[in-house]
Amino acid sequence: MSPVPGMGRRVAAALLVLPTLLMSLRTAHADEEGWAFVRGINLNGDAVVIDGHRYEADRDAKDFVCRDSRFENQKVQLRPGTDDARARMIRSSRWKPDGNNAIRLTNLTKGRYRVYLYTWEDSDPERFTISLEGRPVLKEHNSGKAGTWKKLGPWDVTVDDGTLELTCRGGHANLSGLELWRQTDGAVAAADAPSRSGLLALYTFDESDGAVVHDRSGVGEPLNLTIADPSKVTWDRGRLIVRSATRIASSRPAAKISDAVRRSGEITVEAWIRPENTKQSGPARIVTISGDPNRRNVTLGQDGDRYDIRLRTTSTSTNGIPSVATGSKTVRTDLTHVVYTRDRTGQARVYVDGRQQRAERIGGDLKNWDRSFRLGLANELSGDRSWLGELHAVAIYGRALSPSEVAQSFRLGAEGTQELLAGGAPETASAAERMFEAEIAPILARHCLECHDGATKKGGLDLSRRDHALKGGESGLAFVAGKPGESLLLDLVESDDMPADREPLSDVEKKKLRRWIEAGAAWSLELVDPAIYAQDAPTGSLFVQRLTVPEYIETVRSTVGVDISEEARELLPPDVRADGFTNTAYNLGVDLKHVEAYARLAEIIVRRMDVPAFARRFSKSRSIEDNPMKKLIGQMGRYLLRGPLDENEITVFRGVASTVAAAGGDFDEAVTYTVAAMLQSPRFIYRIEHQRGDGTWWPVGSYELASRLSYIIVGGPPDEALLQAAERGELADPDRCRAHVDRLLQDPRARARSQQFLTEWLDLDRLEHMQPGRERFPDWSPELAADMRAETLAYFDEVVWEQKQPLTALLNAPFTYATPQLAEHYGLPSDEGATTERRSTNGRRLQRYDLTKIPERGGLLTQASLLTVGGDDASMVTRGLFVLTDLLRGRVGDPPPCVDTTPVPTKAGLTQRAIAEARVADAQCGVCHVKFEPFAFGLEKFDGIGRWHDRDEHGNRLRDDGEIVIPGGDQRIAYDSSAELMDILAESDRVRECITWKLTQFAIGRPPGVAEAAIVREIYQAAWQDGGTYPDLIRTIVLSDLVQKTRTEPETTP
Amino acid sequence: MKPTQISRRTALKGLGGITIGLPFLEEMLASTAAAAPQAAVPVRAFNVFFGLGIPAPIQTEGYDGVFEPLKPLADKLLIMRNVDQVRCDQKGINAHFDGASGAFTAEPPDGEARAGGPSLDQVIRRAHHPDGMPADQVPTLVAGTFFRRSRVSRYVHSYNEDGTVAAMMQETPRALFERVFGAVNIADDDARTRRLKLSVLDTVVDQYRLYTGQRSPLGAASRARLSEHLDRIREYEQRAFALEQQRADAPKMPPRSALAHGGAADPGGEGIDITLEELRQEWRLLADLYALAIQTDRARFGSITFLAAGERIRLTGKYEYDGRLVHEFNDSRQLNASGSQGCSHEWWHRFNEKKDNQQLRAHAHMKLNEVAYFLSRLDGPDCVEANGRTILDNTLLTISTESGDGRHNDPKRELSGVFHAITGANGRFRTGQILDVNAEGLDVYNTMLDAMGAGRPLGPEKRDARAIDAIRA
Repeated sequence: MSPVPGMGRRVAAALLVLPTLLMSLRTAHADEEGWAFVRGINLNGDAVVIDGHRYEADRDAKDFVCRDSRFENQKVQLRPGTDDARARMIRSSRWKPDGNNAIRLTNLTKGRYRVYLYTWEDSDPERFTISLEGRPVLKEHNSGKAGTWKKLGPWDVTVDDGTLELTCRGGHANLSGLELWRQTDGAVAAADAPSRSGLLALYTFDESDGAVVHDRSGVGEPLNLTIADPSKVTWDRGRLIVRSATRIASSRPAAKISDAVRRSGEITVEAWIRPENTKQSGPARIVTISGDPNRRNVTLGQDGDRYDIRLRTTSTSTNGIPSVATGSKTVRTDLTHVVYTRDRTGQARVYVDGRQQRAERIGGDLKNWDRSFRLGLANELSGDRSWLGELHAVAIYGRALSPSEVAQSFRLGAEGTQELLAGGAPETASAAERMFEAEIAPILARHCLECHDGATKKGGLDLSRRDHALKGGESGLAFVAGKPGESLLLDLVESDDMPADREPLSDVEKKKLRRWIEAGAAWSLELVDPAIYAQDAPTGSLFVQRLTVPEYIETVRSTVGVDISEEARELLPPDVRADGFTNTAYNLGVDLKHVEAYARLAEIIVRRMDVPAFARRFSKSRSIEDNPMKKLIGQMGRYLLRGPLDENEITVFRGVASTVAAAGGDFDEAVTYTVAAMLQSPRFIYRIEHQRGDGTWWPVGSYELASRLSYIIVGGPPDEALLQAAERGELADPDRCRAHVDRLLQDPRARARSQQFLTEWLDLDRLEHMQPGRERFPDWSPELAADMRAETLAYFDEVVWEQKQPLTALLNAPFTYATPQLAEHYGLPSDEGATTERRSTNGRRLQRYDLTKIPERGGLLTQASLLTVGGDDASMVTRGLFVLTDLLRGRVGDPPPCVDTTPVPTKAGLTQRAIAEARVADAQCGVCHVKFEPFAFGLEKFDGIGRWHDRDEHGNRLRDDGEIVIPGGDQRIAYDSSAELMDILAESDRVRECITWKLTQFAIGRPPGVAEAAIVREIYQAAWQDGGTYPDLIRTIVLSDLVQKTRTEPETTP
Repeated sequence: MKPTQISRRTALKGLGGITIGLPFLEEMLASTAAAAPQAAVPVRAFNVFFGLGIPAPIQTEGYDGVFEPLKPLADKLLIMRNVDQVRCDQKGINAHFDGASGAFTAEPPDGEARAGGPSLDQVIRRAHHPDGMPADQVPTLVAGTFFRRSRVSRYVHSYNEDGTVAAMMQETPRALFERVFGAVNIADDDARTRRLKLSVLDTVVDQYRLYTGQRSPLGAASRARLSEHLDRIREYEQRAFALEQQRADAPKMPPRSALAHGGAADPGGEGIDITLEELRQEWRLLADLYALAIQTDRARFGSITFLAAGERIRLTGKYEYDGRLVHEFNDSRQLNASGSQGCSHEWWHRFNEKKDNQQLRAHAHMKLNEVAYFLSRLDGPDCVEANGRTILDNTLLTISTESGDGRHNDPKRELSGVFHAITGANGRFRTGQILDVNAEGLDVYNTMLDAMGAGRPLGPEKRDARAIDAIRA
């Protein structure tokens, strides 16, 4: 931070503080996360320090084998730029002429490791696949153009034989550096830790006396248990000894458990027990949710020397038979950990002391669980199936714990598991890390990064990146961990000297900063991204998703075969765009006009349907009597309403048929009116999902998941194959789910859906309403606007679906499609040689043009559909902002105090660029304008309607070179032409991230919030590792937790 | 004083001689306040928004300046100056957006299509009708004449508790007419068919009840959304099945609007060309219909908008007032620019206290003239209610805009001195004054809500609130 004139003595004194070592700040961030740096190796280079970590020279490295050739070229300009040490390391590397690199590390202790790999390209792009321990971790990676480098990974791998092998196959890969981290001892890997997620009931028996066993889960209303005869039990230091038969049961139904299990289709029963003997049987009930000895939902019991578990499903009896039992002699009279899990695919497992004893498939689903059954321990609810022994801990989950979770829970022991589950603290992020992300990062993003990010770095201080922030700026360290009094940042903020010329921080924000520094100034993010942390996106409320107009039309067409598009578009109010898309759930309300339209459309639809043929698909019976009609309603409803109907719903729809019958109507008329009712049902109009739970992420129900998959990928309802998969619980299996995803991606509707995404992302509908000034653009016509739109859609279709390129190729693929009129508008050569044609949606002929010899064209930003964003004057501000916000996920506020925003007109000797450069150079305005206007410099030669000129209307020569900083980075990247700018954008990780965010938002119907940023990050990493095509992204999104799970709303919410 | 009955046939004349006959009105008299002389005057609250604001320095001229068109209603209005909406500022966004969102809510926006909290009319509505409005009324009537629509907050000014829009915008006279007076045409159905359709509707209602009830699997916000849907179904049911008599002489619809709407009204922010005549004709017809909705007690809460926040139009035409030529509009020529730079919006960017700001004044004068037109439609002889006062006197009408200054280089100045005016609301507030309240909008609104018996204030719980007693009668 640079001193501000007139600064007080206190602040001036603070500036005299010399930089000190930040002893209390841990530089190895990964240590805080449970990872520790092991070693780094400079492949073909000397020892060097990178990011504070020492890299060994590979020549001297022990326990390291690499027989690849050596290569070096220090003259290549790296993109992006980087520090000297890293640049030197990158430009010297190992490679293999036959493309088969191999690196082996030996003498590694057993454990979990994390690998990073530096690669770079010195010449033409290469494609290669990287594998760890024989398993591909990065397929068909494109090394990019000359100068491109990447730090690939992280990839996690378990080493249990002391050796770690990394191989590379395919093209010529230049491997420059290797970084190895190890999961630290004592830290529990997040994926393996027993988690509170899905916990429904927990008994820890820590009462010292009394007749009540308390539910310590903290989930919903406590399901406490009453001991019928306390004299039959003994409390003793965290255990309940059941000495003789008594009932220990809930007084009310275990509805919270039954409801959750019905929804999720999964269950875990976990118990730490010590049986009194190996003879008791019945089975003797250890844990049971039942009504009587013959009806249950689930029972964990002891049958002599075996454990026996009965589970009610739609494929077993109401008594849960056939049961799953362990082998003989499994029961011991020692303290024993017994766990039963059953997942949605039907896989049931029994574990004893962390080891699987039995695995079987139990078919059916759990929707027939009886909500009225109560929970009991150590006996049946009837009191005649007693179990004697010690109860140390009992937990019930609405999900199936993984084998590693079970093993981990066993390792923790009874007390450890109790503490973990009853404590309620998340296992991974520390409180300090959570504080930083939740409270400090937003403050930095909103108040500091405008002037102190990678692009601006006022006073040499960059607070966007951890490693830069820790170094401080020209005035020294910004903060000292644990010492607010020595923290310059805090001093300046508390005295309102910072932010300079901006709204000061509120008192609350100042206190947060102070508390954070006092607590050690933990900095848990590598990058504080304003796009995430400065946003105010609502994340609290879950809004049910109403079908948009196109989705409604497709749903009708898919289910009943009627094309209602014309009437629906006329009668239904158009969906309004919010946050960039028209399917944003919180904005999809309804008004009277919607209700009228749905009613009217339902009438039209049933009139056009072949109702008898439709009914025949579900039932051969044409009886209007109760049972056959209910059956028909159930089958029709499952199909039309995208999931099974419960008894209540069937009864409600049956009412329509009854009324028809009472009015003398026949079967066909009854079905007609029933279908009309279904078409107006909330289950048709909305995508109804279970949203209530315990506030944590729960797996979505199988039918809900089927709907999500289908609407996300093809914009329509699940087909019969998907409905059946949902019914069988197959979608819980990742491989089977993925198979359906891939199947749907082959559907032609997926292509149309992708075009809808593009249209909304780039706001192509804007073109329809353009009205450029007639005097200035006399040749403008609405047909030209339609041609521009058609160009972009055709271009997208070829890049994405025919060439199957990564989505970033949209930025620079050297071809386009144009009507003759548009080609003339662009000044493209005649269509001689153009052999490929398409038809636009309005029937106009589009020809394909190869643009390899027309370097200024090629890529979305060179198409008029986007160039017109700047209006008649081709505003650099508007164009630059578009690139920043819609391609790079950047963020900058509206003009701050200082600027006269009246546009300065161009004239002879004064171009748009010169005017823009003046804004960028302005000391106060430039902090923002430097972040976006340079992106538009490369487009100066395109006028307001997308034509290319070397000079403007005043005869001024135009330019297309510039220098940019990609948001999130700090390297200045120069470009000499618009074509080079397009290439830079096409290779940018930030563009990839932005596309990921946009597509994710479109998929889930809302902008992801701060709490979901980590998931989107995982989607981004996985999808682009897989190739970065549209199908890759869609696949990764739908297989992620954002789609596979729901963030439930706590049951206590009124 | 005896209340005046609404005549059997009320002719509505807007500009251009458009006439709408409403012979069915008499059937609706049973639900109007005027038909029940002994009934209490209903509580009503409407937000009246006009775009682009009036710079605070110009407001000091009072009725001798741009306030002139309000002068005929001066004794029925309380004009409040120096109302500060700075707390509505959202960093990095200009006042067209956050000021518009803050008008009537006193909160910064919460997303592109959400306000930070409920609007005045909705708080009052829920306080007085916790169980919902009668099915024969439009629960919240939102209408307006506007063009710029890049963000919903620019033109919608009624918001639910959760900040979502309270009702769909009716942006043409025809749409407004249909919303308020439209009957569902099932006249051709025989009794049997009607009964069967009613059965279908009952089934649908049952389904919505299930998903809005205690056992619904939906979260709170989703249940609220479906609850609104259910309310609309009930309204639909009322219109479709409660009107026993279908009129052969059905009311004539207003003609289709000739102006640009939807996407065409806002071509990428570049603005549209429009004459004063065209603008006025549409607006006054819309205002007439909105006023009629209030007169016939079809609406008691809602908002009406004359030009969006940050509106972009290139206006032409002679503007006359009180027999004199006030100004001849020709924005594009006078600004010597096309596109967005040629829009009237630019006059606000160029406001300079030391200059005469002739064009800005003319625009502001014209806007207040149109607002006054709407207000006057609630003040005529046919608007006298049971207590001898007019609907204008008895209703809380809050008139405001998005900013106190159009220059975007000072957020504090932009959102200070935001013009506000209110009516007496049946004797609750002082009228006949121009008052320098020197207060936060939030405190002004909460004082208003308290007087209206709303039972809850806006804004954060922990706050040093200040009652602005000077506005209360």
